[in-house]
Amino acid sequence: MAPSLGNFLLWLSLFFATFQFFASRKKNNLKLKFITIAVGGLLISSLLAFFLLIYVHVVSDFSVLNVFQNSHTTKPLLYKISGVWGNHEGSMLLWIIVLTIFNYFIFKLYNKKNFSFISKTLETQAFIIIGFVLFTILTSNPFERIIPEQNDGLGFNPILQDPALAIHPPLLYIGYVGFSAAFSISIATLNFNNNEKIPWYNYMKPFVMAAWTFLTIGIALGSVWAYYELGWGGWWFWDPVENASLMPWLLGTALLHSLIIVEKRKSLQSWVLLLSILAFLLSVLGTFLVRSGILTSVHTFALDPSRGLYILIFTALLGGYSLILYGTKSKKYFNNDFFSFLSKEGSILINNILMVIVCATVFLGTVYPLLIEAFTNNKISVGEPYYNSTVIPILIPAILVMGIGPLLAWKKEDKSKIFKKIFPSILLTGIMTILIFSIYRSYTLIGIVGIILSFWIISNNLIILIRKNKKYSIGMIIAHLGVGFLILGITGSSVWQEERITRMKFSEETKIKEHKIVFEKIDEIKGANYIALQGNFLVYDENGNIFTKLKPENRFYPVTSNFTTEASIHTNLFRDLYIVLGEGNLNEGWVVRIYYNPLVVWIWIGALVIFLGGLVSINANVKKLKILEQ
Amino acid sequence: MILKKSFIIIISFCLMQFLSNNSYTVEPDEVLKNQKQELRARNISKNVRCMVCQNQSIDDSNAPLAKDLRILIRSKIKDGKNDEEIYKFLTDRYGDFILLKPPLKLSTLALWFFPFIFLIIGIFIVFYHNKKSKNF
Amino acid sequence: MKKQLIIIPSILFLLILLTFFYLLIIERNPSEIPSNLIEKNVPKFEAESLINSKKFISHDEFGNEIILVNFFATWCKPCIEEHIYIQRFADEEKIRVIGINYKDNPKKTIKWLNKLGNPYSNVLLDKNGRIAIDWGVYGIPETYVVNSKGIIKYKHIGPITEKIYKKINSLTKEIK
Repeated sequence: MAPSLGNFLLWLSLFFATFQFFASRKKNNLKLKFITIAVGGLLISSLLAFFLLIYVHVVSDFSVLNVFQNSHTTKPLLYKISGVWGNHEGSMLLWIIVLTIFNYFIFKLYNKKNFSFISKTLETQAFIIIGFVLFTILTSNPFERIIPEQNDGLGFNPILQDPALAIHPPLLYIGYVGFSAAFSISIATLNFNNNEKIPWYNYMKPFVMAAWTFLTIGIALGSVWAYYELGWGGWWFWDPVENASLMPWLLGTALLHSLIIVEKRKSLQSWVLLLSILAFLLSVLGTFLVRSGILTSVHTFALDPSRGLYILIFTALLGGYSLILYGTKSKKYFNNDFFSFLSKEGSILINNILMVIVCATVFLGTVYPLLIEAFTNNKISVGEPYYNSTVIPILIPAILVMGIGPLLAWKKEDKSKIFKKIFPSILLTGIMTILIFSIYRSYTLIGIVGIILSFWIISNNLIILIRKNKKYSIGMIIAHLGVGFLILGITGSSVWQEERITRMKFSEETKIKEHKIVFEKIDEIKGANYIALQGNFLVYDENGNIFTKLKPENRFYPVTSNFTTEASIHTNLFRDLYIVLGEGNLNEGWVVRIYYNPLVVWIWIGALVIFLGGLVSINANVKKLKILEQ
Repeated sequence: MILKKSFIIIISFCLMQFLSNNSYTVEPDEVLKNQKQELRARNISKNVRCMVCQNQSIDDSNAPLAKDLRILIRSKIKDGKNDEEIYKFLTDRYGDFILLKPPLKLSTLALWFFPFIFLIIGIFIVFYHNKKSKNF
Repeated sequence: MKKQLIIIPSILFLLILLTFFYLLIIERNPSEIPSNLIEKNVPKFEAESLINSKKFISHDEFGNEIILVNFFATWCKPCIEEHIYIQRFADEEKIRVIGINYKDNPKKTIKWLNKLGNPYSNVLLDKNGRIAIDWGVYGIPETYVVNSKGIIKYKHIGPITEKIYKKINSLTKEIK
């Protein structure tokens, strides 16, 4: 019953989306009523469909193909639920509900003055929703049945059964999909004559802030999972699917900064309209890369070229229409308001240019192997070394500018005042740098540069906080501080990492940095759906006292016949102590890998702080919008 | 106690069967005695793609082929081969795909130079804008 | 000027989409890596044979007739699946097939061949996997077609299927 109802609700959503599309185009007295019904109906039917999918997973209804392929009766409840969006079909439902939720928030913007503008926005949003719902129904229906009904499911990859990974997709999708609202507003703006001077940028900003903020934490959670789960302390691999989430983030960063200029100074409008189109196009293209089967990656869903063709055509339609529209209609948004480069606008423009360059480079690196394959029948790899050589040199000036930018005046900064403004932070940066190098005494060029940059950001923002200057937005300060922490964590963990690989028998000891580590024993343990060998390691501090016991595991999940390793990690603000148990036996001993990762936790702290800053900004922007609309 | 020990033996045996087809990343027995050579080996390994797993270097990978290649690279270093010769040995057999840092060739010129071109365009935009705003 | 700035990237964007379209509609396996040894000479190697005591020297054996080289192991499940086709290459098509036993236990291999049948004119032992590396093997089973001049003409990764069986047959007839 439930799956059929779910399927029906999908069709119903398609109906409401189509209804919304046509209703928002027509001019008649009932327009508002029709649109209200459409938006509400769309929201409710899509949410119900989503909850029904969760329901069939939770009750383990194996008549549903999606449940059979991805679940099992022994799977813990949390992962039965998160397993809903861990597969292709279920994640498409997630795309859809985020689209319809944002659709609803666009609808909430209605007031007497902006009726036709918001209607136009809803028209574009409806088109996007139709595209995705139709795709889901035609190629990826999660309510498809399996005949005959099965007794139990195929299980679910155990390394995906993790709390961080459970929440990673919903947050990520609020990000990707949130940019759809900015896209729709941009299309409406380009199509609109704007005689009534609709403040489209005021509408766009909260959506961009929301999308960007959640995309940030979504990406960070993916990295957290990789670090804790995959067993070698890495957290970013320049995998095509990771890049697909990074590109909208980079453009989103550029977008939220240039929106500030548009709001305040009304300049750069046509640039912002283009950026918001590109950000969403990259989200959709990212979806294509992940789901079409055009490349393989740990992240890709099941490979299916027919799905790929649909998304590609949809991307081409959306991209073709929006870019041609931009090409023909953006002229009216050009303006000649110029500003000196030594100004707040100037530094935001530099940020934008650099973010776009990084985005273009990441795009190039991601897409290039496919281009080479198509033209030369050869395959190449574009991995970490490429991105390190190309992206890092561009980020360095971007971070430098980020420290000083907020301090500069609008339009033109007085050159004589600059030194006075930045002197305190230069001093503080210097002090903090010297302090940290007295603790971690390893000196490399990239390490010194990274540390200086992170403290440059941190000290600039700390000083703003201390001075309690009301004119700075709190959200910005918090978010920028977060970036400083992030760079600190990235630099420390990359350049000061130490590793110890050795073979140990019971009671043997080894040393890493100031810690003595003793291999006590191995226990066998039983989990919800696995059995495991658990190593027990005693960790001593520099005074010879045991301060923790680390217990890495090697697990076996019988249902899927998967083996996984679970690292055991002791975290503090200075470093992570990370132990992985390898193979071995009682006679020869066990392979043990120990990592000393300085400052890693600051990466996660940084991301969290950026997220908090973003939330504060979303709140401030929504409040501002409410006031403006009075 | 005996039961516990035999359980450990069974599990570790099963793991070994699996793991001997999937040995771990750089193992203690692979590490070269000469630290400089070992560092070279690690750096080269970080640039060599694991052909079997997705997007990992052989330095990080569990796969048996990764281990074989790690050992091979170390023996070549001990034989006195330089980095270029080792990379050529690998690309002769596995093609350019095995390098994580794409080689500079005619076909990859665009890949390596476009970021630089993007930067030039960016700087150009800066100067263009600056020129226009010099009037105030 | 602004117009060009947006036209050029848009055209590039379109070209990239067209390239993706092309890649989707042709038959390709995104995880398969093309061999670097096609149209090149067979790698020089020496190996112990499972069957006879004489050492196998590659430049003595290749370069006289068409030979199929099949990398296999007893611990590899797909190798069992494709075995029937290897047998057919040897029996029906009368093509010489050399088997290279990858990282295996010779005793187990003898048992395996006794049970399933031995299509190989010779079975070479690659205990440490070095021969496989010289051939650019990254996942068994892999099968190579070598012409009568000792040049590698074709490589197939994964088990032989009916389709690939037909393809290799027509290829061997062509290069005769």
